[in-house]
Amino acid sequence: MNSGIISEEDKRKAGLFMASALEQGADMARISLSKSILDSFSFLNGELDKVSHSADCSVFIHLFVEGRYGTFSTNRLEESSIGDFIGRAIETTRMLAEDRCRTLADISRTAANARTGTELGLCDESYFSLDSSDRLRKAMSGCGFNKMKNTDSYKVISEEFEYSDSIDDNYLIDSNGFEGRHVETSFAVCSETTVSDSGGLKYSGYWWDSSPFLNNLDISDCSETSLRRAAACMNPQKRRSGKYNMVVDCSVSSRLIAPVITALGAGNIQQKNSFLSESLGRKVFSEKLTVTDRATDFGKPGSRLFDTEGVATSERKVIEKGTVRMFFVNTYMSNKTGMAPTVEGISRPVVEESQNLKSDGKRVSLRDLMRHCRNGILVTGFNGGNCNSSTGNFSYGIEGFAFRDGKITHPVKEMVITGNMLELWNSLEAAGGDARSCTRWQIPSLAFRNVDFSA
Amino acid sequence: MATRFDSTQMTENRFTDIFNVTVPDLERLVAAALSRGGDYSDLYFEYSSYGELLLRDGAVTSGGFHVDYGVGIRVLKGEKTGYAYSESTAMKDMLAAAQTAAIIAGSCTAKEVPPVRVSRPASPDFYGMKESWNNVPASRFLPFLKDLENRIYSKDQRVVKVLARLSYSESEIMMFNSYGELTCDSRPMGNVSVSVIMNENGNTENKSVSRSFRMGAEMISGELADELASEAVSGMDERFRAGRPEGGIMPVVMGAGASGILLHEAMGHAFEADFNRKGQSVFSDRMGQKICNESISIVDDGTLYGNRGSCNFDDEGIPGQKTYMVRNGILASYLHDRISAKWFGTSPTGNGRRESFRFNPIPRMRSTYMENGPEDPKDIIASVQKGIYVDEFSNGQVKIGEGDFTFYVKSGFLIENGRLGDPIKDINIIGNGPKALSDIIAVGNDLKIDNGIWTCGKGQSAPVTCGIPTVLVRSLTVGGSAGE
Repeated sequence: MNSGIISEEDKRKAGLFMASALEQGADMARISLSKSILDSFSFLNGELDKVSHSADCSVFIHLFVEGRYGTFSTNRLEESSIGDFIGRAIETTRMLAEDRCRTLADISRTAANARTGTELGLCDESYFSLDSSDRLRKAMSGCGFNKMKNTDSYKVISEEFEYSDSIDDNYLIDSNGFEGRHVETSFAVCSETTVSDSGGLKYSGYWWDSSPFLNNLDISDCSETSLRRAAACMNPQKRRSGKYNMVVDCSVSSRLIAPVITALGAGNIQQKNSFLSESLGRKVFSEKLTVTDRATDFGKPGSRLFDTEGVATSERKVIEKGTVRMFFVNTYMSNKTGMAPTVEGISRPVVEESQNLKSDGKRVSLRDLMRHCRNGILVTGFNGGNCNSSTGNFSYGIEGFAFRDGKITHPVKEMVITGNMLELWNSLEAAGGDARSCTRWQIPSLAFRNVDFSA
Repeated sequence: MATRFDSTQMTENRFTDIFNVTVPDLERLVAAALSRGGDYSDLYFEYSSYGELLLRDGAVTSGGFHVDYGVGIRVLKGEKTGYAYSESTAMKDMLAAAQTAAIIAGSCTAKEVPPVRVSRPASPDFYGMKESWNNVPASRFLPFLKDLENRIYSKDQRVVKVLARLSYSESEIMMFNSYGELTCDSRPMGNVSVSVIMNENGNTENKSVSRSFRMGAEMISGELADELASEAVSGMDERFRAGRPEGGIMPVVMGAGASGILLHEAMGHAFEADFNRKGQSVFSDRMGQKICNESISIVDDGTLYGNRGSCNFDDEGIPGQKTYMVRNGILASYLHDRISAKWFGTSPTGNGRRESFRFNPIPRMRSTYMENGPEDPKDIIASVQKGIYVDEFSNGQVKIGEGDFTFYVKSGFLIENGRLGDPIKDINIIGNGPKALSDIIAVGNDLKIDNGIWTCGKGQSAPVTCGIPTVLVRSLTVGGSAGE
């Protein structure tokens, strides 16, 4: 049975980097050796367009020398060059200013249960039996261009379809004695279809699926869904600027929680660049918002047993009924600010389903949210935009549909939403239970009241 | 017998030494890549070294360097691409990659490939590096970052945090293709960025500024520190006072310089020939047509001296050049790589670029700008009764098929009765590329290239710049408050 692509010889090399660092004067060191393979087969208009094979192996080195800290990486792993590389790295680190807050994570906080890398069940053994012919067959089976028909309302211009699979294997050691490994396979398909209407105007639709497991990959619906999404965008209408209820589809809703997660990072808080600086333990969002970091769910994308410092992850509430329960505090930020250390970042955020719309034990769906809001704008895509990390003010271009009495009426065009993250998340009406299983961030469809739309 | 000094040969030898290959090795690899019937093959060798230093809380407490090395091998069969790379330049590893890339051609039987005649195109020099980053110890840059920080604190008492970063790289690139063309390029890049956090009466604001050049360590100077420090604190009075305008459709005056993102997002991407070859672009089938005011000429230029987007050769070995996409209002050229140029029956325009040896080249912009028009910028502002003026941006995006684009405005002003009024910030502008282009009704005479760290993402990143004179767009959708 395979358990990844990092060999004992690779581990020995990582050990050589460590030994060389300590021998040449580093007080502490952390070494990360990463290996990955990616294969992809792309089709353009039903014909094979591109075949690509990638294989990478590199070492990332964190050095702690006389109270100074440097980071280095190389993909030149010849044994004969390691000593020279580390020597130059130590010399460079010594030039930097002293910062005693830079230390390794305490060994008691690191994971002790990630030895094989497969403990979380994210490595599909069937990956190792795939060859080029299998991959080509998978790709051909999913590419739907030849089944796409022109209709009275649209003409199919093009379809780009891609099948890809990959394996990522990461091995992390530090001079305190931590040793951890994480192996993950991934299988993915995506399709982008462009159609034109009778006037020659073009519309595109995109869809994808992915899974750590080949058998769970939904290849067959991808092309059809991208065509459907392209056709659905036709004949958009402009809406008046105003305040509308907003429902955000689960395929894009992570865009709205990302600035919140970023603002909970201790690095931003320490730099006074976070709109959530003073929020720990305070209720600053709607009580309908609960975010949990389910970092250790077995067999789920995004799960991991340790963070990039080797610190053990666990399931934790990040925001509970609108109250901020944790910041992301790595060892450096903990030493610098005095905050208790947690983990350096979120692994697998899950926005919990709202209970106020649940009935008969069924998951709250996108349709339920639209029905609940009655009238408004359904957002199915974001087009650019930004969030000011200091203030939480945001503005995003959106794509989507107007809905009335819970039903879609027509696509909208050239619309922008603006607001402030604190206000937005305080206007949360409900969170669905429909997060896509293929995503690392489990963010369902979301409904908000009275959002500023400009058009 | 006296021998003449041959600098081309010396350069070539330096590169073949770096990658530990000989010209016959290159020929053998190309032959292997074409062994299953490919039409064309190229090899892209890269040895990149990167350095970085970060000043935080008053001291440069982190930094380091990084090395990336490998060779990408591409095979074309018609418009189809086979691509593989190796992080090792041992012959057996490169041959394995060549054979993987060869699969695209489909033939099962090995084919003999005739030998090619090796040629060495002359290299221009758009970088003019005077001092190699690799020859300067990192310690020499530490005072620069500290000086930059000091200047910022001394210019504005409201500054509470400064984060300054210097990153630099040198990439040694060697390309060889089945036409026998052997090209070498040493590409420097220096980037300085600084973020400041300011506090005024309990309100926090941030601002980031940056400079990036294809230059050597000579770019690090007191003048650069002063320029960045001044820019980092300028306009902050307005930013603290700024609000959001009432949203809607209105005239937009785009200030000279960074407003060039309009060209990049709204037009440039749609001119990239791969999207047009696939029929996806909103500008497909419009070559030779009038698409905007005849006072408008839009250029994508790889020849600006020291510019972040410039390249002596693109990543397919095509010499850097200046390409008119729009000349006097007429769509004059797409941006081509070798594949699209062949498909359209034209010459490559030097836009075949890639992030690294890990990626196959695709059409990408370089420095995209609009040439000067006849108007005085003051007159342009004065001509607007009610609208906005914008001058600082980030986060642009475009939908190629529809042509819908958006970008985020970090600062600007309301225009009322031909004068700049209250400051505005944190809004999005959205529009449609062809329409916005045809809606440009005035072009200023103050072209400015913005030399910030602009990076374009299109599945892989590429360093670019943009520029524009002051222009007036008749109407764009501006995000803002919904009003009453």
